[in-house]
Amino acid sequence: MSPERKITDRKVDFAWLMLVLLSVGGAGMASTDANTVLVAVGVSLVMAIKLRLVSTYFLELHEAHPRIRRAVLAFCHGMPILVILTTAFGDTLSRLTGALLG
Amino acid sequence: MWVGIFCEITEFALLFAVFFIARAHHPEAFQAGPERLSLLAGTGYTLMLLTSGWCVARALHAMRRGDKRATVRWMLAGFVFGLGYPAIKIFELQRNFALGLDGSAGVFIVSYYYLTFTHLVHVFWGLLGMMWVIVRTGFGAYTPEEHSGLEAFACYWHVTDMIWLMIFPLFYLLG
Repeated sequence: MSPERKITDRKVDFAWLMLVLLSVGGAGMASTDANTVLVAVGVSLVMAIKLRLVSTYFLELHEAHPRIRRAVLAFCHGMPILVILTTAFGDTLSRLTGALLG
Repeated sequence: MWVGIFCEITEFALLFAVFFIARAHHPEAFQAGPERLSLLAGTGYTLMLLTSGWCVARALHAMRRGDKRATVRWMLAGFVFGLGYPAIKIFELQRNFALGLDGSAGVFIVSYYYLTFTHLVHVFWGLLGMMWVIVRTGFGAYTPEEHSGLEAFACYWHVTDMIWLMIFPLFYLLG
């Protein structure tokens, strides 16, 4: 196996190990008594890192067409931001959607 | 392939929107929700899918360097770990139903079933696709130069994995 291939394999292995550690560590956040918004920020941060690892090392998004890359990254970055915003401004979202839905 | 993946992302984006709106309208139900679910099962799904995704990524690398035997071995390992997802689901559903967590257990549980069952359907499609790709690899349908079928499957499987990485904290961690 060429050294370049070996390095690529090692990167994927490292990404998997990080994902496992983040998943187990992130699960520990569920048992904390911290402020809801703080938990949401922590959970979102872990989510964003995991999504970035999968999209970079497993999905190899950097090799995709720029439009596809932008769309997938928008989804990956948008979700953690939405989690924080809807946790911090849940009342506002409730009022807005309540008015829209009647 | 990317059209299919965009359809999948759009479908889940809509379901996530419903989740966020339901959560904003029923904050108490969603705050107490994660305690009603099995965090062990949720973490188990995550580890199974991540490990399966890792095996598929290694299978693709093996194909690129022309090692078909290693490709089949990694794909088979990916399939076994992928099967762990529905296996855990059976145990979790038995636990949930024993605790009375069925379709009448409130808005949090209904949202949970709606999103996770939709995801389960995508995992089933993925497992069927993986079987197909394993058979084709075994019969020598892919080469280091032309293995677009294997790449398309890998993309689908990783996106399904990514969607689970979004679902997991929403239901099992955010209190």
